[in-house]
Amino acid sequence: MDFSFSDDQVLLRDTARAILSKECPPSLVRAHIDDPAAVAPLWSQLKDFTALGDGPCTDLCLFIDETGYVAAPGVFFPTTAMFAPLLAALDHELLPSVLSGEVTGTVAVAGADGHWTLNDEPVKTFVPEADRVDWIAVVDTGPTVRVLPAADVATRQTRMVDFSRLFFEVDTTGTPGSGVGLDPAVFNDLTARATAALAAEMVGTSRRLLEMAIAYAKERIQFDVPIGSFQAIQHRLAECSLAVERATAAAQYASMTLDASDAELSSSQERFRAVHVAKAAAGNAATRAAKDSIQVHGGIGYTWEHDLHLYLRRAVGSEHWLGTTSWHHDRLADLLFKAR
Amino acid sequence: MHLTWGPEEVAFREELGAFLDEHVPPEFERGFDYAGEGGEVGDDGQLDADNIIPDWARRWQATLFDHGWMIPAYPPELGGRNATLVQTLVYLEELARRRVLRSFHYPGYGIVSPSLLEFGNEEQKKLVPAAVRGDTIWCIGMSEPNAGSDLAGLQTRATRDGDRFIVNGQKVWTSYAMVAQKCFVYVRTDADVPKHKGISLLIVDMDTPGIEVRPLRHLSRSAGFAEVFFTDVEVPAENIVGEVNDGWRITQGSLAHERAGLWVEGVCRLDASVLSLIDVAQRRGLDQDAGVRRDIATMYEQASSLRALGYKGFASFAQGSSAPEHSYMKMATSEMGKAACEYGMQLQGAYGPVMDPERGEENGRWVNYFFMSFANTIAGGSSEIQRNIIAQRVLGLPRS
Ligand SMILES: Cc1cc2nc3c(=O)[nH]c(=O)nc-3n(C[C@H](O)[C@H](O)[C@H](O)COP(=O)(O)OP(=O)(O)OC[C@H]3O[C@@H](n4cnc5c(N)ncnc54)[C@H](O)[C@@H]3O)c2cc1C
Repeated sequence: MDFSFSDDQVLLRDTARAILSKECPPSLVRAHIDDPAAVAPLWSQLKDFTALGDGPCTDLCLFIDETGYVAAPGVFFPTTAMFAPLLAALDHELLPSVLSGEVTGTVAVAGADGHWTLNDEPVKTFVPEADRVDWIAVVDTGPTVRVLPAADVATRQTRMVDFSRLFFEVDTTGTPGSGVGLDPAVFNDLTARATAALAAEMVGTSRRLLEMAIAYAKERIQFDVPIGSFQAIQHRLAECSLAVERATAAAQYASMTLDASDAELSSSQERFRAVHVAKAAAGNAATRAAKDSIQVHGGIGYTWEHDLHLYLRRAVGSEHWLGTTSWHHDRLADLLFKAR
Repeated sequence: MHLTWGPEEVAFREELGAFLDEHVPPEFERGFDYAGEGGEVGDDGQLDADNIIPDWARRWQATLFDHGWMIPAYPPELGGRNATLVQTLVYLEELARRRVLRSFHYPGYGIVSPSLLEFGNEEQKKLVPAAVRGDTIWCIGMSEPNAGSDLAGLQTRATRDGDRFIVNGQKVWTSYAMVAQKCFVYVRTDADVPKHKGISLLIVDMDTPGIEVRPLRHLSRSAGFAEVFFTDVEVPAENIVGEVNDGWRITQGSLAHERAGLWVEGVCRLDASVLSLIDVAQRRGLDQDAGVRRDIATMYEQASSLRALGYKGFASFAQGSSAPEHSYMKMATSEMGKAACEYGMQLQGAYGPVMDPERGEENGRWVNYFFMSFANTIAGGSSEIQRNIIAQRVLGLPRS
């Protein structure tokens, strides 16, 4: 067991941090609200890293965590955490051009109920960035996969509280082609991978929210002292940081178990347990950090002008995507009670 | 970044396993996933209130020592086998997995030994093997009636008189004082300097004239700790550990020792408790209840993310950097452990508080552990103090 990062991984994280803090300031996240094309300069940097989509999950998650810290909008997440691994599993001819950053894609699974479970409904919901990408992989019962040019399907944006990630309904009625079969176990692994990546992303968002609260608590003076010297604030933030630290470790552990071979794990269920734990811990951390951070900021945190809500929105949106915290707790319970 | 143990750790675990298979006393089969301080829970579900360190537990500790398994990281002469940090982790997990305690009294091996090895002189270091083997029982005299969380406010005085110190004052909540041969007594040696700067540490023999021990029962009824009164107690000057007025630095060291090793045990106990909640739910016919399932899964999520956090802290610790993760572990494992015990009682409904071996379940195990769990959220720095520490030392918020 070794939870430390290699020098290469530290370098990757530092590189991600440097690029994202420069290319994805809050002003870009705001500009994207009215004009999604505002992400172009950010994408021109991120496209050099799409090869992470076909590498170890730990490396991908390290990078994605940093995109969560800045609430990066755009196609990086669906392309690397969802589309590329699916193409790799299919040994699809598009994979090289995705890994080189020339081509982007997203994945459509959920039906009307919004759950990421296999179905044969023609309209798929909560498909991220469907109008920005080049390709949409549609997964139906089987599972079978069709990789369709995005231009060939009708999309309708679902307006969401989170402006930094755009979701669409994708209507595949009348689209051509029969699907390619996929091993159900492979589909489950791909789902786990996307979920682990989302957990890592949410950890980044949580850390941002907590750091903003800590910084403000040190600087805001009331009753002649920094509010961070009040124990009520200290204890709130201590508990909040525990939630964030737990989620960080859980997300890291989940990505490690996804990279591990079966033989290296205590049981084949460990991978799924770890992913449910990670997403639930991250959901808890993200919403908690958002609530605590706004509370600590007082009135200023309630304004549109302040950047906090950009990350609050991302936190709330992510918590509800790919399974809420409660949903993951329930799936975890299924595994635990069955195993016992 | 690896997930598994290397061949060295696997071999180490096998050797340990073989030793444990052969030597673990049968008494452990009754289960000790929460107990530790304050006696043993017998078959009847009752604490054996007066026998706080049973003979079999003393023999077990000596056996561990004699086979180099008491503190594996120590050299053989101190009851170890020069184990690596990672091997130590394997060791602690294996003991916890089997629900086996090393010892029924942690002060000697957990606090006194590391402190003497770090701060003691050559003569004092000679006390270590007996402390680790459990041949000498130690107690720790830190807290006083007016100095609990604010330890630096302690008032027990030691005045230098030729080649000895004269000690006067009172300690309280001193665990094991009624059975201990020696005590680490923190005393005030200078009242005219800021309070952290006038504290020293003395090694005091408990049979020195002028010491009076008045046992206090724990809320669980066991004879767990005591008040200790010092009236003109003469202590040889060479019994001071470290320099005069340098005691505060040692308290910081010994508390760190206490915390660093404890998280593994804390997390393993928490894991074990959460998994046994599933058994309780099944026996009570509540395993299909959506609320119960979700509650238990939530606790499992907390326990396993904490374990991951412990590993993460361990990894940075092993690489020589300080590990803020450790500050979180004590607070979180103790609080969550308490919550898990309380939930166990909830699942038992009306039978939650029953401690009747012929009625109810598990001889009141959950309520016993619930009662004991307060020790963990109060002793060794309360949860509130831990939050202060996290806020100020980890998050860097200003002191109040
Ligand atoms: C089972 C057990 C075994 C023990 N064994 C030993 C032993 O062997 N040797 C020894 O020396 N001591 C021992 N102790 C004592 C223990 O270290 C103290 O109880 C502990 O430090 C708390 O001190 P106190 O009891 O005086 O509580 P107090 O310090 O009076 O605290 C009372 C309450 O106030 C809160 N509080 C205090 N200060 C603050 C603050 N700054 N901010 C927020 N809240 C605060 C505390 O968290 C607590 O909730 C033991 C205690 C227990 C329960």
